[in-house]
This record gives sequence, C-alpha cells and structure tokens, in this order.
Amino acid sequence: MITRVEVVARRGPGGRTVLPVVRASGQLAVRRTGPASVHLVATAFGPLGGDDAEVRLVVEEGATLAVRSVAAAVALPARDGDRPSVQRVVAEVAGELDLRPEPTVVARGAHHRAELTATLAAGAVLTACEQVLLGRTGEEPGRWTGTTRVVADGRPLLHTTVGLGPGAPAWLPPVAPRAWASTVHVGQAAGVLTGDDAVRLPLENGWVATAWGAELHRVVRAAEAVA
Amino acid sequence: MTAALLTLADSRLPAGGHTHSGGVEQAVAAGLVHDPSSLAAFLLRRLTTSGAVAAGLAAAACGGGDLAALDAEADARTPSPALRAASRQQGRGLVRVGRRAWPSPLWDALPAAPHHPVALGVAAAAGSLTARDAAAAAAYLSVSGPATAAQRLLAMDPLTVAAVTARLAPEIDAVADAAVQGGRNGHFCRPGLPADTDPLLDLLAEVHAARKDRFFAS
Repeated sequence: MITRVEVVARRGPGGRTVLPVVRASGQLAVRRTGPASVHLVATAFGPLGGDDAEVRLVVEEGATLAVRSVAAAVALPARDGDRPSVQRVVAEVAGELDLRPEPTVVARGAHHRAELTATLAAGAVLTACEQVLLGRTGEEPGRWTGTTRVVADGRPLLHTTVGLGPGAPAWLPPVAPRAWASTVHVGQAAGVLTGDDAVRLPLENGWVATAWGAELHRVVRAAEAVA
Repeated sequence: MTAALLTLADSRLPAGGHTHSGGVEQAVAAGLVHDPSSLAAFLLRRLTTSGAVAAGLAAAACGGGDLAALDAEADARTPSPALRAASRQQGRGLVRVGRRAWPSPLWDALPAAPHHPVALGVAAAAGSLTARDAAAAAAYLSVSGPATAAQRLLAMDPLTVAAVTARLAPEIDAVADAAVQGGRNGHFCRPGLPADTDPLLDLLAEVHAARKDRFFAS
C-alpha cells in the first residue's frame, strides 16, 4: 500500500505557527493535536512488507512543528516474498522540527527500512528520535535498516545507515541488540559522552546519541542519559 | 590488476597505518575480541560498515569525484571525533608516501589532511589503478591492520590470524564489488555512497581515545 503524508508549518500572524497543509492518504492519518503539533495515526494494520510510506514535513522559517504518533508501529512480513516495508521521512526545515514517533517493532520475518532525510537551512533546529525493537515478546527478531542523512546549510552533517537483525552483516554476536534508540539534534552543540552501550557524538552545532541493548525501555533511558 | 595495488595494500607501505588498531585495542580491553572466532566476527563487522564506506569513498575518489565533497561526505559518515582524527592522520600519512611513490597532479586536488579513503582513491588513480582496485584496497585495509593489531595485543599465532584474514576474501571482494556497482547503477552521486555504520565501533573509539594507557593511536 502507498501512504503519503504532507504537513507544512508556516509562521502566521503574530508569529504563531499555522499549518496550511495537513494531508494524508493510505495507512496514516494526521490529526492536529495542538497549535503546532500533529499526531500520525495508523489507520491500518502494519506496515506490511512491500508497503511504501513517505512523510513530507516542511517547517518554514519562524515556524515550529512537533510530530508524534499515537502508538508503536508493528512492521509485519510481506504476505509473499521478502520485500521490506519502507518509510521515508523527508524534512525541509528552516524553523524548528521536533520529530518523536512511538517505537517501531519489527516482527519475525519482517524487514523494515526507515529513512530520514533532513535538509536544514541556516539557523534551523531539528530533533529527531527513533526507537526500534526487533521482535514482539517471545518472538525472534525481525530486521531493521535505518538511514539518516542530515544536510545543514548545504553541507552534509550526518549520513549513517544502521542495519539490525538477522541478515544484517554487522549484527553479530556478542553485540547483536534487539533494542535500539537514537536521537539526532541540530541547534545546540554538545561534546562526546560515553555510557554502557550508549554514546553521544558531536555534530557541528548539534549531536547524535545512540544506545542499544536487550530491552527497549532501558535503551531509551540510556539514550536519554547521553542526550 | 597491477603491482601498484599490491604496494598500496601492503602493510609495509610506510603510511602510518601500523600505529592504528581499527578499534581492536579497545575491543580486546572490553573482552569482545579474545580468540580467532571473536576476531573474525569483529573484522566482519568492521569490513561491512567502515570498510564498505571506505571502499565506496575510495572508488569515487579514484573515479574522479569531487574530492572536497567526498571528504565532507566522509566526515558525515564518521561522526566519532576519534575515528575522524584517525582517518585524517592516516590520510596525511598516505599522501606523504603516495606523492613520492606515484607523482601526479591529482594529489594537488586533495584537501590538506584528507580522510584516508579519499587519499587512497587518489593514490590508486595516481598509480593508474581502477576504482575497483581502490575499493578492494580500502576493503582489505579495513581488516588487515586490525588483524595484525589483534595478533600483537593478544600474542595470537600469526598463522591463525593470517588464516582469519584470508578467509574473509569473499566478503572483501563483495564489499569492493558493491562499492563499484553503486557507481555503475548511477548511484555514484554522493548520497548514494555506502553509509553503513556500527555505533559499537564509535563507542569503542571514543572510550579508547580517552585512555592514557593505550598502545595504538586508535
């Protein structure tokens, strides 16, 4: 199934943000849940392998936008073949974007690809979080591939692809985590910080924090501790 | 293939690679590498992440890519300051010997202390090698140095370590092929370069860099 979401945040009269475009088709609906915030709501089971979702977010200068989701997404295998489900988030930010969806759970046999491409103008602020759990309780892990590319003021700031789960070439014992959390922030600089299975790395005017382990709630706490 | 490739991938080429362990020193300290099979797993992780990225960058640099842009892409794929410094240190070392070994105007287009894979691509081009050769050298070097470091740190049997490295040949070839196929399929555009990363290696590198008692530079 094809899913398309588009939200545009614009600086309106008096400096408050207005959302002139809030559009969704396919498996996601968008609900306005505040003056400058939206929640993505899954309207169907899944995603299933072969599903393709694109979420386009535009935050114009002087505007702010918070994007949340109402529940974890459970990626399930394709009914036939082994096609991955794909979700692309394409963000153009001149204002401030805060993207914190609920976790993605990848069921056994599923492969979910998550891509975030953020193009930032000078002075833009971005916070983007990702939480992943491979396999539901008592289930074998699924596979997740996540790519993040952040370009700030025309320069590539961060471009990484992480592969988790069976079949991912670098997902090897003894470090083959089921749970994963990562936050990338641009807007305020921070230096290196290390923890147990957690690390924060500096970016120009920002940072990226990552944590991994067996249980998602612990991993999320570890990521917050180095954020 | 020409003998220039053998020279480029030779650990005796004095480019400064021998002072780096590619994360092995910290992996040994953390108990992650302690025997041949844990070393093989570590090398495979490294090959398929930073090795794949290096192969892609080296192939693109050899193929006439914009070197400053590729160097910026290398930065974006290497957020760890310790790994950035290690890569630039080895890049500078390679430029020093490469300029003498394969004189060419190509060297002048490089930024001052380039990332190692970008310098490696230029060295390959200056030595009349192909992009596939550059990728193969990058992929091989991503495991050969760390393997030698593990041998020294753990006093492992050199024959065993040589066998571990040799058995990775199919994976090394696959990484080099993928680096060049990206180019053939029109994905040589910069965002299409491999970006595979292993945050474990970032964490090990940063913990290692903060140590006072380390034997290797990285």
